[in-house]
Amino acid sequence: MTSHRSPGAVGSSLLLHSYNVRICHWINVIAGGYLLLSGIHIFLDFPELYWGHTGYQGYPALFKLSDWGLSWDEAGALGNRMWGRNYHFTFAWVFLINGLVYVAWSLARGHVRGRLLPDRSELAPASLKADLVEHLRGPGPKRAAATTYGPLQKLSYSLLIFVFVPVMLLTGLAQAPAFAAAWPWLLDLFGGRQSARTLHAAGTVLFVVFVLVHVVEVLLAGAVNRVRSMITGKFRLPEEGM
Amino acid sequence: MSRRRLLTSVPALGGLLATGCADALVPPTVRGGLIGAADVLTMSTTRWLMADQPLAREYERSDIAPDFPTWGQTNPDNEDYQRHLSEGFVNWSLPVNGLVGRPRAFSLDELKQLPSRTQITAHVCEQGWSAIGEWTGAPLTQVLEAAGGVSPEARYVVFSAMDRWYESIDMFDVVHPQTILAYRLNGNELPVGNGAPLRLRVERQCGYKNIKFLRSIDVVDSLAGFGRGTGGLSSDFGFHWYGGV
Repeated sequence: MTSHRSPGAVGSSLLLHSYNVRICHWINVIAGGYLLLSGIHIFLDFPELYWGHTGYQGYPALFKLSDWGLSWDEAGALGNRMWGRNYHFTFAWVFLINGLVYVAWSLARGHVRGRLLPDRSELAPASLKADLVEHLRGPGPKRAAATTYGPLQKLSYSLLIFVFVPVMLLTGLAQAPAFAAAWPWLLDLFGGRQSARTLHAAGTVLFVVFVLVHVVEVLLAGAVNRVRSMITGKFRLPEEGM
Repeated sequence: MSRRRLLTSVPALGGLLATGCADALVPPTVRGGLIGAADVLTMSTTRWLMADQPLAREYERSDIAPDFPTWGQTNPDNEDYQRHLSEGFVNWSLPVNGLVGRPRAFSLDELKQLPSRTQITAHVCEQGWSAIGEWTGAPLTQVLEAAGGVSPEARYVVFSAMDRWYESIDMFDVVHPQTILAYRLNGNELPVGNGAPLRLRVERQCGYKNIKFLRSIDVVDSLAGFGRGTGGLSSDFGFHWYGGV
């Protein structure tokens, strides 16, 4: 039996992620995956982006998928709007409820302050620069043994949870006529429904970038050990790490 | 309480709930599984947020789209419609049947003689596009009152179109002031592509609920008997019945 959060002896293991983090993480993987896929289906059915309140085929567009080699008809044939809408709104609820559970638990248990939010010294330019240099240098024993989040990791997780997700939620709601009627400030906040839709699409690209970097980082920091620690919680301390 | 009074005295969700009517919160047919649960959450949440019946945003004339787009069916290819179109809709009329005091039909002129409402609103297509237009029409409540008001058992209003499309809305949207039967767009007669001679505007729901080419209206307590009974052709296909999102 390993003890919680104690570094232990060389070669021993510890419980790195609490069950709440693990359960919420994997629900997020499923919900995030469905949101991305269903969002792409919805977008393919109308593959242009505009700014302001108005946008339709023939109106000046910011982005046209047809400029990138996929015609309107080809995109429409790939996208299934009905499937997309049904699953996007379903997994938006799953994602939201799961996220609220995670944040409530994390606040109550001190996870936010204790492990997630970077402190002032970690946010200092020198600290972030040093962390970036270490990341660019590639995998090393120190990272493979890390049992706390690094400064850049803390910063990206915090921005993701407390800035990115709320913005994605609100840009999504601003597109819905019922939410826009209930909360007209949503339209003012983003400068119109089409602006909200464009920001929502741009956010989707950021989300894909986040997932790719996240997965690469996990692979570089000891794939088996890291993935196991997110499933069973158990993290084996590498011998050379101490 | 007279029927007329009932129709105009349910402005808010509280009123609807007080009459024992949960229709405002839950779609008429709840689908299975997670999708059905999400449908209920979405509808309940938005209706709760709209309990004081806010108006959808109304815009300025300068916001009106230069050329309001047409989408879906733009000219129903059937004999009936083409005949009415060629006659300028002078022989077209809109039957209002079901749970109303005096079922009757309205000619286009009779609808235009009812008190009208003009609103500059955004048409929000569920596909993702939106365009702002100025709609003029008779508020649905005015039409229903001119047909003798609705019975207390009424739960939905079903709209059937000349292109065989149909959709329905619940009383929460029926009593909303922006729910109108529009016969004008941007000051002109409603163009064929936008649903001439008459279309529904239900501004807090997506485009597909704003059914075009109206043929008849039925006030009902049950949606059985219309299509597959889900309350609309789009929900018969598998879309959400509630188009608030």
